[in-house]
Amino acid sequence: MSPQAQGPIWERAAGPLVAVLALVILLALLQVTGLAFWQGLVINLGIFLILVLSLNLSNGFTGVFSLGHIGFMALGAYASAILTLPLREKQEYLPNLPAWMAGIHFDFRVGSFPLGFLVATVIAAFLVSLVALLVGLVLMRLSGHFVAVATLGFLVIVRVLLFNADNLTRGSRTFSNVTPYTNLWWVWAWALLTIYIVWRIKRSPFGRAMFAQREDRWAAQSIGIEVMSPRLLAFVVSAFFTAVAGSLYAHFITSFSPTVFYFDLTFKVITMLVVGGMGSVSGSVVGTVLVVGLTEVLRRIEDPSQLYGMSGIVLAILFILIIIFRREGLLGQREIALDRWFMKGGGTGSEQQITNAE
Amino acid sequence: MKQKLFALFVIATLFLSACGATAGGGGSTQGPIKIGGGFALTGAESSLDLPAANGAKLAVKEINAAGGVLGRQIDFIVHDTKYDMSVTAQVAKQFVEQDKVVAVVGFTDSDSVLASGPTIQSAGLPFIIAGATSPKLPAQIGDMLFFACFGDNVQAAVGAEYGFKNYGKTAYLLWDKGVEYTTLLGGYFKSRFTELGGTLALEDTYEDNATDFSAQIAKVKALPQQPDFYFISAMPYNVGPVVKQFRDAGLTGPIIGGDGYDTPDILSVAGPASENVFFTTHALMDTTGGTEGIKKFIAAYNKEYGHDPENAFAALGYDSVYLLADAIKRAGSTDAQAIKKALEATSNFPGITGAITLGADAHIPRKGVTMIAIKDGKFTLGAELVPEKVPAP
Repeated sequence: MSPQAQGPIWERAAGPLVAVLALVILLALLQVTGLAFWQGLVINLGIFLILVLSLNLSNGFTGVFSLGHIGFMALGAYASAILTLPLREKQEYLPNLPAWMAGIHFDFRVGSFPLGFLVATVIAAFLVSLVALLVGLVLMRLSGHFVAVATLGFLVIVRVLLFNADNLTRGSRTFSNVTPYTNLWWVWAWALLTIYIVWRIKRSPFGRAMFAQREDRWAAQSIGIEVMSPRLLAFVVSAFFTAVAGSLYAHFITSFSPTVFYFDLTFKVITMLVVGGMGSVSGSVVGTVLVVGLTEVLRRIEDPSQLYGMSGIVLAILFILIIIFRREGLLGQREIALDRWFMKGGGTGSEQQITNAE
Repeated sequence: MKQKLFALFVIATLFLSACGATAGGGGSTQGPIKIGGGFALTGAESSLDLPAANGAKLAVKEINAAGGVLGRQIDFIVHDTKYDMSVTAQVAKQFVEQDKVVAVVGFTDSDSVLASGPTIQSAGLPFIIAGATSPKLPAQIGDMLFFACFGDNVQAAVGAEYGFKNYGKTAYLLWDKGVEYTTLLGGYFKSRFTELGGTLALEDTYEDNATDFSAQIAKVKALPQQPDFYFISAMPYNVGPVVKQFRDAGLTGPIIGGDGYDTPDILSVAGPASENVFFTTHALMDTTGGTEGIKKFIAAYNKEYGHDPENAFAALGYDSVYLLADAIKRAGSTDAQAIKKALEATSNFPGITGAITLGADAHIPRKGVTMIAIKDGKFTLGAELVPEKVPAP
């Protein structure tokens, strides 16, 4: 793992701040052009980024391969959508809600700022984290293949629950008429927050404990590094942000059903994670941008050439090639150290000398 | 250095996709008329959307060969939505902003319409649905939405009336609870059937991915008296196993269903068990039993694609393009509001799936429903029916 840059804080913060400023300018330009297609693409990119970063925190940092995270996304999507549905829509589309829920509608605004959306997202994510805590207390004792299968079971359980709780979720029927709150700013504000928090966790003692027990659980335990607490923390925090991504997705696409949150989406996110590098925050960014960009380029080629389905095949081949020739992903566990950009002499060492944990 | 190269590569990829954006459309009064075709050519819905897309493309080809519409050729831009709702929403934005179409045709399922509809509605473009049958869609999307097919409340009403008149007052209702279409169809059937005075001896459900229906069959067999007929609301991939297992268990009464039965799978999987099965659909795709229009369509489809149309959705795709072209002709221009008014004035348009009449308050046509009876292992024409009364959406 790359050593932390040493130096005065304004020098360390300059790099990331410049990057954030550049992003804000880009988003403002995009917003002004009013091109809904490109805005949609960048929103999709942001939502996937949050998903991949959360999954990286859980799978990449701790080595616990969870296949069930999209279950948290589903719960977050439904919870937040039910909370923000206005009263009239609630009565029409969810007539059988329990009485105490039927009165809640977080569709209030402060001025023109949709505060209700923020509150609903945070409440939904918090509730999902509680679920993750309970599930994690049981599942984080497992490792390797066992936890992968167990979390897959969780994904299936969530789906069946959502199908059957039709008083709350409309079951198999499409949950529609969700207010389209999501826009560029919401998505990328949450994305930047996720990047920051995952980055800080990686650089913290908890983060180092996670990476230590990822490599060798027994060796880590033998020198006194706890296994359960870091895993549980990673699981719960990643579930929180996955649920936030679910809420953003629900209020972007405005109509969805439990079938959306299943294997397809799981494997898309895993592809981005593996391509970018499990354990690297910048790797997640690179992987997400690459896969989303590539999918869009391929889709443009598919339609005129009528080679439908080609994009799926190409992405699958890319995935296989990465697994065979570069198992750790494009960036492995290395980071693109933004905090060194503005430092004289590159801090404690130039980018090329980043130590490789592999 | 490597990281910078990667960054450059990634940015280049995004710019490449920007290059794919087509330049602004040609003048609105000259040049080809751009129509968007949204279909899920890959993914779970492709068995219905691919024939619909083929039918639509055939219609465009025929219209262009006959001189086009208003003297202009049709440029039919088809995008594959992969049955992924995010991609569907993006494709709708692509049609509106980049392809700059004057109208959109497509889709055979309600979820895709819900994902793409809001964008097309707020752009004020006419949107003709080929085969999605949920009658709630116009209220959910808006007034630019038009159907080329009937709604589920219509076909369920026909099924209820047919069963009531021909078989009796007691029925058994079974539906797939994992899908909106089958849930709604079962609900509309129950509503119309009980309104007629029928009674449901038993109601039951099954999971969408079920392969074994012995639990449901056991409950039916335990009934003191078998109901007069069975109404089973099923998806195309469940129809074959359900019918076969019902017959194997000795339940030989008539089975009635919806357009989910319109698949060759029911004959290949259920085989002789499919005798005495009836279902409502959009047209009988048969060269001997079908109407003249259908026969011509089958021949043309065969010539173009080398095989018979897979199901009635091919004919629906064909009809939706002709319906739009007819409206543009009557409107005399490609202005969206003019097309909308012309569509609302459509009266007895001779579609090959039935006569289509629309109205200002009726964007779903009052159309005839084809009741198909399976006899001797073949689809035969049972009746062409119009429901007397239709449950509210």
